[in-house]
Amino acid sequence: MQTVTAMEGTEVAHAAEFSLVARRNNSLTSSGRLLVFVFIFVVSVGIAAAFAAFGAWLILPFAGLEMLVLYLAFRYLDRHAADYERIAIDGDKVKVEFFEVGCVQSHEFNRYWAQVVVSRDGSRLALRSHGRELEFGRYMNDEQRLSVALELKRQLRGAA
Amino acid sequence: MDAAHAHNGHGHEAHGHHYTGIMRWITTTNHKDIGTLYLVFSLTMFFVGGLLAMGIRLELLQPGLQFWQPEFFNELTTMHGLIMVFGAIMPAFVGFANWQVPMMIGAPDMAFARMNNWSFWLLPPAATLLVVSFFVPGGATAAGWTLYTPLSTQMGPGMDLAIFALHIMGAASIMGSINIITTILNMRAPGMTLMKMPLFVWTWLITAYLLIAIMPVLAGAVTMILTDRHFGTNFFNAAGGGDPVLFQHVFWFFGHPEVYVMILPGFGIVSQVVPTFSRKPLFGYSSMVYATASIAILSFIVWAHHMFTVGMPAAAQLFFMYTTMLIAVPTGVKVFNWIATMWKGSLTFETPMLFACGFIFVFSMGGFTGLVLAIVPVDIQLQDTYYVVAHFHYVLVAGSLFSLFAGVYYWMPKWTGHMYDETLGKWHFWLSMIFFNVTFFPMHFAGLAGMPRRIPDYALQFADFNMISSLGAFGFGLSQLIFVYVVVQCIRSGAKAADKTWEGAEGLEWTLPSPPPYHTWETPPVVK
Repeated sequence: MQTVTAMEGTEVAHAAEFSLVARRNNSLTSSGRLLVFVFIFVVSVGIAAAFAAFGAWLILPFAGLEMLVLYLAFRYLDRHAADYERIAIDGDKVKVEFFEVGCVQSHEFNRYWAQVVVSRDGSRLALRSHGRELEFGRYMNDEQRLSVALELKRQLRGAA
Repeated sequence: MDAAHAHNGHGHEAHGHHYTGIMRWITTTNHKDIGTLYLVFSLTMFFVGGLLAMGIRLELLQPGLQFWQPEFFNELTTMHGLIMVFGAIMPAFVGFANWQVPMMIGAPDMAFARMNNWSFWLLPPAATLLVVSFFVPGGATAAGWTLYTPLSTQMGPGMDLAIFALHIMGAASIMGSINIITTILNMRAPGMTLMKMPLFVWTWLITAYLLIAIMPVLAGAVTMILTDRHFGTNFFNAAGGGDPVLFQHVFWFFGHPEVYVMILPGFGIVSQVVPTFSRKPLFGYSSMVYATASIAILSFIVWAHHMFTVGMPAAAQLFFMYTTMLIAVPTGVKVFNWIATMWKGSLTFETPMLFACGFIFVFSMGGFTGLVLAIVPVDIQLQDTYYVVAHFHYVLVAGSLFSLFAGVYYWMPKWTGHMYDETLGKWHFWLSMIFFNVTFFPMHFAGLAGMPRRIPDYALQFADFNMISSLGAFGFGLSQLIFVYVVVQCIRSGAKAADKTWEGAEGLEWTLPSPPPYHTWETPPVVK
């Protein structure tokens, strides 16, 4: 589920005047992923084990291989489930964070120099300063990008 | 100010570079491109398999051996089955899933786009192996698509090629299924709850689950044939302590759910088409979902109805007879719901609706003959006769294939941006419907009269039925050329299709332009 929520993180939330987190769209919860995997695993390996009991044991390695691929697929989803983008305004700094597979990539802009760049239809949102442009809003839809752009402009104008 | 993008991997520029020409199709990870590849591949294989069918019917046009040796005739029947099942019907439905599932649930692409590319590109080598097997010493496998032992353990190298082809196609199916399950479960747009999903998506979710459950069984079965053939094992070799009947159990444990793999997505397509042209919501949506799931669950406990004559305890025969009959209940729910959807609807009969109605009518007949075959004492009489051939062609041709045609005509304007030729579409439907019945209806009588399947010659009393069937088959085959013409014409020209092509169509895909842009739903829509 794609959500744009108020900042509830721990590192910068305490002091940020304005902050916003956009998370990637996951329609399956972490426990849902586990449940689905366990269900498929039990049925597939159960079938293979039953055939093995009747002598057709060569189904087992194929079921195992398939479960390995399924596990890797679900693990990939799980590792990316917590990905987010965060933008926080604190004093004279605008901090943009990209969190992907447990790694954070941070970018800082000067609040007084940063400009919000947004396309008319909201398909593209970026911060620009000193010849550098940083696009964000990957997890937002066009409407959300437009409203975030409006709010950011208001925040930056407030500083000026 | 010069704008220099900070490349953080998050921006839209990731989509910027595309190959062109043949490299576009080889390297593509786009679900629409891959959907197109699947559909083109399956159409090609449909004609290859169809050509083999023409060869079969040519020989059966008259009693006696006119064209082929019996061994080659058996190669034709075997390869016709394998190619149609694994090369035509299954990939066609995967093509539909690729095109439609992301657009229908508001996802930008499949969950594992690169794996999606691999899934497809495994298929052409597998198909090549199958076709090339005709030209190796001993020819292609002639053991029937069921690959029963001990025939399959005794065939020439064509059998090995078929085994490798099945392995490769199985791997492709598994990767495709994992992709579809993860896409549907994890990438639905906000608000697209499970019980709001279009029924086509539901049927594919359940189909993908079936595939994951059964594909290792097929892979194991053919690998055991391979090791029995070349590595001295005795899984199915009675002389070495093995059991040939075990193969039948293993194969049909895969084979029966496989039948539903080939029909459930068709149910999904019909469940999209019927409400559109009835201008009413689908009657009994939730019961349709539960019926689909019930059919899938039941499919695991009916396999031995394919082998009633192999020798099994009466209790087992009764169990499999009753469970098989039970499948008529959820299937009946579906047929009832489709008709109830049409009831008092504002019906129009464009080509997709014609094929959907044709599907309901003729598939139901196939369902009824399935019930006949479920009755053990009757099945013992009809086992391996043309009655069985008639039955499964009624559910696979009039079922799966007609639903595929309904789906192509329904969504082709969306895919291509052009309207197809409605008149030719209707010609295609009526000719297919008439010739289909001319081909397969007489087979019921031939079967009831005792004509066995998989033989190139037959007793004189079956001559009339066979001539009618063969003439019908040639007509059916030729009618499919109309389909190719309509599709090519629609891709190349035709009136501009509206975004919402059909007045009564509902769903996210109809909110997109026709044709949809290369990338859709990069940001998910919010479903109310």
